[in-house]
Amino acid sequence: MNLAICLLMARRFIEKSQIRQVVEGYHDLSDAAFERTFERDKDELRAMGVPVETGSNNPLFPDEVGYRIRRKDFELPAIEFTSAETAALGLAASVWESATQAEQAVTALAKLRAAGVDPDPGRLAGLAPSIGAREPAFASIWSATIDRATIRFSYRGQPRRVQPWAMTYRRGNWYLLGHDVDKQAPRMFKVSRVDAAADRVGRVGGYRVPDLDLEAAWASLEPRRPDTEAVLAIRAGRAPDLRRRGRPVDAKQDVPAGYEPFAVSYARAADMVGEICAHGADVLVLAPQHLRKSVITELTATAGRAS
Amino acid sequence: MTSADQVNRLLALVPYLQSHPDAELGSTAAVFGVPPEQLLDDLNVLWYCGLPGGMPGDLIEIDMETVAESGRIRLTNAEYLSRPMRFTPDEAMSLVVALRAMRELAGGHQGEGIDTALAKLEQASGADAPRPQVSVAGGSEEIRSRLTDAIADGELVDLDYLGAGLDPSTPRVAPLRLITREGFGYLQAWSLERSAWRTYRLDRIDAVRRTGEPAGEVGEPPEFGPGWLEQRPDAAEVTLRLKPTAAWITEYHPIRAVRRQASAIEVDLLVADPAWLRSLLLRLGREVLAVRPPEAAAGAAESAAEALAAYGAG
Repeated sequence: MNLAICLLMARRFIEKSQIRQVVEGYHDLSDAAFERTFERDKDELRAMGVPVETGSNNPLFPDEVGYRIRRKDFELPAIEFTSAETAALGLAASVWESATQAEQAVTALAKLRAAGVDPDPGRLAGLAPSIGAREPAFASIWSATIDRATIRFSYRGQPRRVQPWAMTYRRGNWYLLGHDVDKQAPRMFKVSRVDAAADRVGRVGGYRVPDLDLEAAWASLEPRRPDTEAVLAIRAGRAPDLRRRGRPVDAKQDVPAGYEPFAVSYARAADMVGEICAHGADVLVLAPQHLRKSVITELTATAGRAS
Repeated sequence: MTSADQVNRLLALVPYLQSHPDAELGSTAAVFGVPPEQLLDDLNVLWYCGLPGGMPGDLIEIDMETVAESGRIRLTNAEYLSRPMRFTPDEAMSLVVALRAMRELAGGHQGEGIDTALAKLEQASGADAPRPQVSVAGGSEEIRSRLTDAIADGELVDLDYLGAGLDPSTPRVAPLRLITREGFGYLQAWSLERSAWRTYRLDRIDAVRRTGEPAGEVGEPPEFGPGWLEQRPDAAEVTLRLKPTAAWITEYHPIRAVRRQASAIEVDLLVADPAWLRSLLLRLGREVLAVRPPEAAAGAAESAAEALAAYGAG
């Protein structure tokens, strides 16, 4: 702490010997103990993100190493928040279910409060989002992504070496996008399928994250765009989900009494079959013929399971 | 001896105490997410900190007697540390993810506040690392916006809802809050018809109609945690033996236990709503190898037979 204050106050680079003289707690130490303590404190500050610079005040003697912290790199820039924004910030501390990440968010908010911002937890009525991080490998992958350190892990039993680029949370699951070192290609990993905490095999800041189109990469996780159309007969008042996705049509086929024809588009026939079957007799396929046949095959199997 | 976490906290505590003169010990501890004893320890460490030189006038001054007597903290002689340190990358990422998770549940003006707060934070933290993204199945922004407005106004609403058993209904409810579980957004509300707390998946709410009637005092619902189904007294255990290709259901449904075998997987489910099991079995079709107890399959079999009859007639 005293080292941080000392370096922060310095206008110029301060040499190690000067630091030893002025910083409370250093000058009574033996040479070896000082070296150890100083190196440890300096590394700790850097690990916390304190920008400890090394350099020389004298261009003629550039090897004369001193240390300093530049105020503008250290301080949180002034930010003004509107009241809608402080209301949002106030809720942020309660979102994480993982204690480690919740603490990080709390410390970040404490820094904002120290800067005079007043996050107000009471004002966003009716919102209580939460985000989990229960995967055994989550913490190791999260920190490696922050540190840009290559990791090694077992992925459903397969050994992988990966340079983590970014993480995303989709529908209750964490994913890692990174460079697969052995396959020499970008890959997406589902964090819950990583068998145990990942091991670091590379140093901090060991690679650059390329300028990539993250939106496009994540889009590969989304369902494909629907490109095929089915004509369904939907019982009056039923299956609002399919009605909403489709539009009413005049069917060429006969429509059973009490049903209304709808055209609904879909991407994968197998998913569509499951979705239609789930509605039982409320939704019947009129066309195409192959979809109708698949649905009847599945229903026949389920009907045969009568006890 | 100070740990990195403590130094990080101290560097924020010094400017905090200067911008909040006479701050109260307990509330300050809460702001920093530590117990009051830890904060006292922090103050004792700070008492030895200060400008290089270590002369009395160089040290940070804290009136420890006042702290002991009235619980109020007054810190002076630290003008050089009047602004907090930047966010660490971990803090910035944790905060951004939290806000993005909120964004997925918010609607209307709430959403706009979150968007602009995010933009400012990302600029302030200055890191150029790709930001984690968050996506929750939360239905339409308009539905969420109507619900949060009704919650704020304490008003009853009518929902057009498609339940898990695919039965459409129009429950009248007192909305309480929007929550996320396992990647889905839900409305937690008191159902007037059932006189019970219910959760409604946001992406299954088709419409929200304001009623103009006050919701009244509804109290607090039971915890909607990972074990919420277990609390339903009417939940029964059903075991499905499935083809390995049906393994996806373990990621989309609350499962009690999974046993993987070479040619099949067995999953134990808790079923509170027979209609939900019926539609799940119909959806799985030929991927179901066996159901235990066998009578649990009867509803789906009947429903499939009815559908086959309709095909025969059509």
